[in-house]
Amino acid sequence: MSNKAARNLFIFGSLFFFVIFLGLTVDTMNQIDGRAPEVTKEVDAGKMVWQKYDCIGCHTILGNGSYFAPDMTKAVERKPDGYLKQFLMDPRGVKPTAAMPKLGITSQEADDLIAFLTWISKIDTNGWPPKPILAAAAGVGGQGQTRGQQIYQSQGCSNCHNINGIGGTSGPELTRVGANGKDVAWHVKHLKQPRSVVPNSAMPPYAAISDDDLKSLAAYLVTLK
Amino acid sequence: MTVKYQSQKIAQYFYTFAVILFLVQVVVGIIAAIQFLKPDIFILNFNTIRTLHINALVVWLLSGLMGATYYVVPEESETEVWSYPLALAQFWATVGAITLVVLGYIWMGLNPQANITVMGTQLLNEGREYIEAPRWADVLIVISVLLFLFNMFMTMMKTKKWTGIQGVLLFGLLFLALMYLPGMYYSKNMIKDQFWWWWVIHLWVEGSWEVIAGALLAFMLMKTIGAKREVLEKWMYIEVGLVLFTGILGTGHHYYFIGTPKYWHWIGGFFSSLEPVPLLLMVWDAFRTTREARNVTNKPGLFYTVAHAIFNFVGAGLWGIIHTLPQVNKWTHGTQITTAHGHLAFYGAYVLLVISMIYVTLPSIRGVKDYNPARAYLAFWWMTISMVFIVLTITGAGMVQVYMERLMGLDYVAVKTTYNLWFWILRAIFGVGFLVGVSIFVYDFFMLGREPAEQKA
Repeated sequence: MSNKAARNLFIFGSLFFFVIFLGLTVDTMNQIDGRAPEVTKEVDAGKMVWQKYDCIGCHTILGNGSYFAPDMTKAVERKPDGYLKQFLMDPRGVKPTAAMPKLGITSQEADDLIAFLTWISKIDTNGWPPKPILAAAAGVGGQGQTRGQQIYQSQGCSNCHNINGIGGTSGPELTRVGANGKDVAWHVKHLKQPRSVVPNSAMPPYAAISDDDLKSLAAYLVTLK
Repeated sequence: MTVKYQSQKIAQYFYTFAVILFLVQVVVGIIAAIQFLKPDIFILNFNTIRTLHINALVVWLLSGLMGATYYVVPEESETEVWSYPLALAQFWATVGAITLVVLGYIWMGLNPQANITVMGTQLLNEGREYIEAPRWADVLIVISVLLFLFNMFMTMMKTKKWTGIQGVLLFGLLFLALMYLPGMYYSKNMIKDQFWWWWVIHLWVEGSWEVIAGALLAFMLMKTIGAKREVLEKWMYIEVGLVLFTGILGTGHHYYFIGTPKYWHWIGGFFSSLEPVPLLLMVWDAFRTTREARNVTNKPGLFYTVAHAIFNFVGAGLWGIIHTLPQVNKWTHGTQITTAHGHLAFYGAYVLLVISMIYVTLPSIRGVKDYNPARAYLAFWWMTISMVFIVLTITGAGMVQVYMERLMGLDYVAVKTTYNLWFWILRAIFGVGFLVGVSIFVYDFFMLGREPAEQKA
């Protein structure tokens, strides 16, 4: 290859890929608005608070930032709003061992920040952050267990079924069982007597469990999407 | 050996500013490392310290690259710089603006409420990683870079000797300047904010900066070994071409999980997996050329050049490709794995690049033919061994974090304060080792060519 040919390859090749990149950028810009709720005045104000205190200098958000403090993408799902607000305004007043200093965040700023973080938590992130495999199987996922999860464990459902890769393979996988369109009533009926809704089912009936507990378990199953 | 054109000496101003900021960067880096163990140890919080750590890095590398350009362009154009006073004014204006920005960061760190909103943007710290500099500083930086590019362009126009090396170098710098602009776009929508923010960050370090590195690699191999320009330039075009063919769409590896459409998984995964290819080609280029070497006069210069090529590939290439596929990145995104990659990539690709350029060009700027290379080698081994261990400790911390937090579902804080404790301690210790290396280098920078002859080896 001559030097001139190499040079032309560099110039026009780069241009070619940049044009493709621009095209994809336009398409992405058009899609973004549909992948998150509308940005309200409070959310915008919250974003300004996020920037004012240089939160990203310690935290990450959508996985980007400083890796010194927890990721904020799903923060509002892990903590109740009331707790968050109190913590933001005086971290060590709420949790004495907190590394976060008191920055002087006002009540209004805390509300705006929570509105911003709530908006962030609703972005379609293509499934990120992933649910922890092992914790999800044990039903703990970094949060308190629901009654349904407790029953799932105590009844040994994972002997046969698996959720997120953990559990047995005798029965159907339940990772996305909630997406199959069946409601709580169907599940309760199925758990009491599987064959009443699935002919030839090999699953044993769980009629000995109380109705309330069956409903809790069913309520848990329909959340698995 | 001396410079052919007196105005090439302007490079020394930029080098001096660069090495001083390098020292500052590493000192605040050690403070940050200790804050992982004791967050309250210093008067400034971690966020301010980290802002200083990464901003000092960006500014000193840019300053070093500007200095290198002031050296390369007159030599390639075979003429003096178009305007020496303009170059000098641009230098002092840059130093002034950067000083103001740093003072602003410290002020904001001491009193967060001082970071008020003026005309819809923060006065002291924009709170956006890497481009924290406030809007007024953005404008000053753009003016400074435009003056610099204008001066270089006018220098080239004096003789119109369009060599490949300076053409690619200036293209890289122009691309760099243009890619600063998307960072000034404010969007209320955090997804769009992050989308354009990555244009700056990614298309700098995995685009324009690598193009500049390709051009400077060719220049340094030519200077140190006297390799043939035609062969060097051909491979340079192929290398920087591949950098952009893979790097531009490789931006997609930042668009997996920030709210952007899923097709970026395919595009980002495919193209960013190919990003190490041009870097490997640069390593091969360096070795192929070095084998032809008969009598190398500037051995440390060549030594650093080859080391830069190798660690560019290892840090940016290998440490990048391990977590660039979406299937892997789903688990490693937002963990210390990224930090490890960042440290080794910046060290190999750009820290060693600027130091190489300094060792290749400084002897002639200072007007010496020969100098004692002992400190240059000593600094290299202190810095490199320390950095490799820093990166290994952070990689270890990242692996533990991925396993415990992402797979097992343990709380972030529990993993950081308990299971990763030893990694933080070791990282801080190796940080001090790195500081020793940097100190030796900075001392050598100021002493090179200024010692009596009998001290020479």
